[in-house]
Amino acid sequence: MQPHRIRAVMLRHIYEAWRNWDRITDTIYWPVMNIIVWGFFTLYFSRVNQLSPGVVSFLFGGAILWGMFTAFQRDMAIGFLGELWSRNLVNLFGTPLSVTEYMTGLIAVNFLKAMIGMAAAALVAWVCYAYNIFPGLPAMVPFLLNLIIFALAVGVVITGLIFRYTTRVQGLTWSFTAFLMPLSCVFYPVNSLPKYLQPIALSLPTAHAFEGMRAAIAGGGFAVAHFVWGLALNAAYILLAVALFRRMFDSARSLGLLVKME
Amino acid sequence: MLVEVDHLTKTFRNFTAVNDVSFSIREGEILGLLGPNGAGKSTIIHTLLGLIAPTAGEIRIFGMPLSTHRAEILQQLNFTSPYVSFPPRLTVYENLNVFALMYGVPDRPAKIAELLRKFSIERLSGKPVTRLSSGEGVCVGLCKAFLNDPKLLLLDEPTAHLDPRAARRVKEVLLDLRDRCGTTILYTSHNMAEAERMCERIVFLDRGRVIAAGSPIEVTHAILREERATPALEEVFIRVGEGDGDAAA
Repeated sequence: MQPHRIRAVMLRHIYEAWRNWDRITDTIYWPVMNIIVWGFFTLYFSRVNQLSPGVVSFLFGGAILWGMFTAFQRDMAIGFLGELWSRNLVNLFGTPLSVTEYMTGLIAVNFLKAMIGMAAAALVAWVCYAYNIFPGLPAMVPFLLNLIIFALAVGVVITGLIFRYTTRVQGLTWSFTAFLMPLSCVFYPVNSLPKYLQPIALSLPTAHAFEGMRAAIAGGGFAVAHFVWGLALNAAYILLAVALFRRMFDSARSLGLLVKME
Repeated sequence: MLVEVDHLTKTFRNFTAVNDVSFSIREGEILGLLGPNGAGKSTIIHTLLGLIAPTAGEIRIFGMPLSTHRAEILQQLNFTSPYVSFPPRLTVYENLNVFALMYGVPDRPAKIAELLRKFSIERLSGKPVTRLSSGEGVCVGLCKAFLNDPKLLLLDEPTAHLDPRAARRVKEVLLDLRDRCGTTILYTSHNMAEAERMCERIVFLDRGRVIAAGSPIEVTHAILREERATPALEEVFIRVGEGDGDAAA
């Protein structure tokens, strides 16, 4: 791996973020709009139903962290789709750039973008709704880490599928996290799901992350079991994602799809 | 030999795009890879870039097998094609800067300025790629191809979309590069007059197979099967297009 090639991939996406309004919208606009809606929602329910501050925190924390999760995996896939849409893939992979260097650069730049989006959303929540995520953040960091790792695994899988099946499957970029959301228990505990869905939910690192986050907000301390489960599941998902990606990339190269993608 | 292609075959499911093709390129040579649409030229170029995995055969470039030394080989090689593009919202300078960093070019701004000057497109430096004409886009692609001072250039129709003046400038630059730096060039074109002027040797393909190889005059003789005083590649091209390549093969 050559650092300058990873930096080149990052520079390409930083330029894109600077020049392309769509990317700025993805990074900042949507997370902020999401928090504004959730802010009014919690204000309304606080007035009508006397929501406890704990519940408000669950809702805000969930919205901010889910927004970060969604943005990270989506931007990974969009970053790659951008090369396809602009017919730049042959230019990129006709250089010494390896697919590992490319993915590392993409991950690094999208991690930065996800952090910027999360910071913007947290700032709006703080300024407009007096919800401050930052004091509780240290307790959430381990769960945030698990969310990021899982977003990475999902992003790698979707990017691999696009390599192999081209733009026919690009819709997964925007739709896959919506499929995961009900089972990730972002705004409600796992035990509120029907019994038969609970084992499926607990097979997702996201459900463990949000359970752990709620425990931290409720003052229950650091939920070690949820963290360890999330981490172990993530290790398995990352290994599977990398293996699938390799297989998809090799298959695309064998079928000549890298030069024919549209 | 700088490039050795040995019994290269590429099959896509039931379709054989490249069928047992062998050729080599000497250092400092300009080799023309010619043939009608679907002859396998682009597949060969993409295979030389490692973008397509061969079904059979071996490729050695700079004495190293491509299958195991991809990064080392591509560091010293570059290419251009009118069928690929750059991120449209990035400016010409930004795009070239990304690729210069990719190749580890030491003084990127100076190198980019030098190349923009060489192709007379300094004025386009700050312009987004989306606002370029197709000819200007080809010139940017050529600038990209020269960023790493490549020892081997793969040029897929480098003068497509260019007006005659710009095309002449590009040919001058290529010949100058070959003469001054000994750069080796693999060249594809549908402009047969241009191929006759530029290429010392020709590999003529039809439906994935080599049907003739040699100097332009040798290829003319081999395919037309008659004595000519001067190369007639355009006539060769038309004859092959009419299905007369089988006899030559």
